Amino acid sequence: MIAQAILSFLLCGVLVYSWAEYRRSPAVALLSFIVSLAGLYFVWMPSHSTHVAEFIGIGRGVDLIMYLWVCISLIVLLNLHLKLRSQHELITALARAIALANAYSATEGARLRSTEHDASIRNRADRPALRLARDASYKEPTSTVRTAAVDPTLL
Amino acid sequence: MQKPAIWVICPAFNEAATIANVVADLRRCRYNVVVVDDGSTDATRHVAATVATAVVAHPVNLGQGAALKTGIDYALSQGAEILVTFDADGQHRAENIAGLVRALKQEPADFALGSRRLGQSRNMPFARRVFLFAATLFTVATTGLCLTDTHNGLRAFTRRGASALSLRQNRMAHASEILTDIANSGLRYIEVPVTVDYTPYSLAKGQRTGDFVMILLDLFARKLHR
Repeated sequence: MIAQAILSFLLCGVLVYSWAEYRRSPAVALLSFIVSLAGLYFVWMPSHSTHVAEFIGIGRGVDLIMYLWVCISLIVLLNLHLKLRSQHELITALARAIALANAYSATEGARLRSTEHDASIRNRADRPALRLARDASYKEPTSTVRTAAVDPTLL
Repeated sequence: MQKPAIWVICPAFNEAATIANVVADLRRCRYNVVVVDDGSTDATRHVAATVATAVVAHPVNLGQGAALKTGIDYALSQGAEILVTFDADGQHRAENIAGLVRALKQEPADFALGSRRLGQSRNMPFARRVFLFAATLFTVATTGLCLTDTHNGLRAFTRRGASALSLRQNRMAHASEILTDIANSGLRYIEVPVTVDYTPYSLAKGQRTGDFVMILLDLFARKLHR
């Protein structure tokens, strides 16, 4: 009885998880929903699980439930992997914004080194690349002005 | 600057040995060149800064797909009308770009893709040939595009074409992703013969045949997750 309670608790957790996950990736959510429902059913109806297990060709119902549990873990693992990927997309966007904000342009670079270095630093906010980084809705760049950015490590 | 509208995008990761020659060739042909340094640990960005029109440097290594996207964003922000992607390891030839640009104008098409099967490849090892053939079959089957060479780093896009590319695959799966985007955009594409020179250097820097497992995984994950 204690084991059943603990298992039910865990499976309910997965149910809630799948519900919360539905928006982000419906396929993963649906899979974990079905598997955890089946798990809950068999936790409380072990005899049924034995019938099903025998039908599939697994010795005992307990084994069947254990296999189901492994399935759920794998699905959650897959989803974690997908989340990591979307995390990485954020990092990419961030790194790209930094790179574009610090773009080094040869013609501007030569000019900056001689006279207008200070002025260019004061005007940093006007650089197209920075606007690009700041404004997520920035779509179609219209400015053809060279960016006046200089990465100090480049010079 | 005679052709201010043509920008060549050169993604580079630890290419200090070859980048200067590659970019100098392109500059001799009077193209604007933006080198995207993908978080190199060597002097790539410093060497590139001496020859390229512009250098954009990722603070960390993200992958070739991400570097291409950064370069495309930069070129578009500079008012590029035609964008060319060009490998930094010296396996492409600057003189092939003119053919791609001409094809874009004559067709007119929005994507011109280099093909080493229509053109030439020098010193390509047999294993690479088999691998590329399989990759081409796979891509043709999944995108429905009629192409002879799907994984060539030398391509040219119009401004409209480049804007239609999403390029969310950071690593090497971007080659397939670009083709999927081309198929989805419904814009015109054309293949142009180019020459690819395989050197021991480019082969060492290039993809291992085993990388296709990761590429397939990347493409699969992209399908699962939006």
